Amino acid sequence: MIKWSIIFDNLPFLLAGAWTTLTLTVVSMILATVAGLLVGLMNMFGGKVIGAITRVYIEVIRGTPALLLILIVYYALPTIGLNLPRFPAAVVSLAVCYAAYIAEVFRAAVESIPKGQSEAAFSLGMNRAQALRHVILPQTFRRVLPPLANEFAALIKDTSLVSVIAMQDLLFNAKIIGASTANVLSPLIGAAMIYLIMTTPVMQWSRNLEKKVE
Amino acid sequence: MTGDQVMSREKLLVVDDLHKSFGSLEVIKGVSFDMDFKERLVLMGPSGSGKSTLVRCINWIEPPSAGRITFDGKVVEPGKCDLRRLREDIGMVFQQFNVFPHLTALQNVALGPIVVKKTSRKVAEAEAMELLVKVGLSQRADHKPGQMSGGEQQRVAIARALAMHPKLMLFDEPTSSIDVELIHEVLDVMVRLADEGMAMIVVTHEMGFAKEVADRVIFMDQGLIIETGTPSEVFEHPQQERTQSFLSKVLLA
Repeated sequence: MIKWSIIFDNLPFLLAGAWTTLTLTVVSMILATVAGLLVGLMNMFGGKVIGAITRVYIEVIRGTPALLLILIVYYALPTIGLNLPRFPAAVVSLAVCYAAYIAEVFRAAVESIPKGQSEAAFSLGMNRAQALRHVILPQTFRRVLPPLANEFAALIKDTSLVSVIAMQDLLFNAKIIGASTANVLSPLIGAAMIYLIMTTPVMQWSRNLEKKVE
Repeated sequence: MTGDQVMSREKLLVVDDLHKSFGSLEVIKGVSFDMDFKERLVLMGPSGSGKSTLVRCINWIEPPSAGRITFDGKVVEPGKCDLRRLREDIGMVFQQFNVFPHLTALQNVALGPIVVKKTSRKVAEAEAMELLVKVGLSQRADHKPGQMSGGEQQRVAIARALAMHPKLMLFDEPTSSIDVELIHEVLDVMVRLADEGMAMIVVTHEMGFAKEVADRVIFMDQGLIIETGTPSEVFEHPQQERTQSFLSKVLLA
């Protein structure tokens, strides 16, 4: 049974976990967005070799669980001498993972711009980089925001995977409370509510942006 | 220097045996013509005759499959010329306008000089404003394309191309996507441009415009030029049966 007192008494501990979840999400998202834009551009305009390399990266990441990547970065990389503390390890794995998804978001947005736009830019004498910077990308940024907000909401949830490397995020702290109070359900319900409080506004924001773009 | 090169320097544009295929479909099957400085050509023909593709090949927005284009004495081909530089001298106006929707009318016109010619924003915008006055849109300078009619967007597109001070303007069916009652706004601007001595190639079915402005009409069908002459020659005494049947359809429309 849910005992609300357990959630209430342990709220500071849950919120401390939620803070870790949030900082992890924000830092990973910023890195993933920058990396995703670069990977997406390299994939589209980098030529054959770079295009193929980035395509392999994107498909490998999309075809494998994020959890696997976290385990590799935290437990396997030290065996080849690359020792990352928990937080950086978590950030690197999540960013590497989400950069692949975000690269696809940018690619879809760039491809959604009518071909006539780049033709008009070229006809003025712009080179590819100038057309991209002054004509194509400014138009993609508006289209890219709703799907990016969606990815942000997904990342909030996916950060729970880092409890596997004992990072004290929201889910990890909820499990600790469950073990110490012998009531597993209540802290998990508490965690669920806090996740919802974080994700719902983001998803709503995404829907509003979507309407605006249309 | 060969005689050929001397000749091409006296012409603004020489198109020599141009071919263009999309996959196995050959849409231009060997087209040759040339054009003097300040000359106005109108390109006509049924849809699918290759006239739009031909115009798009001239500035290599569509790379030709074979043949040679010489513009202002320079062979147009990557590796043989600076394609980007060359496009500064050839303005292009598209059927779908292709104005930049994230920029105001003024910014649309000023962008080319700012980005490509490194003109200062202040100078570029002052000149952009003059061009907007010229196309009758000064009061729309701060509007974005989404708030404008097709006729207005196309006039912005013309001003945008003029901002680069081109030696040749290409118009690819500039009025085909515009409401009938607004077409004259665009044609008026084009006529004025022609009166100022701008060289232009215009793909259009507007016979009134062709009669008023064109030095020569080129009639294309199935990827080939089948007839060429002054507007009165081509319109009043067409030599080819296909020209006659096309013109009778256009006149009925």
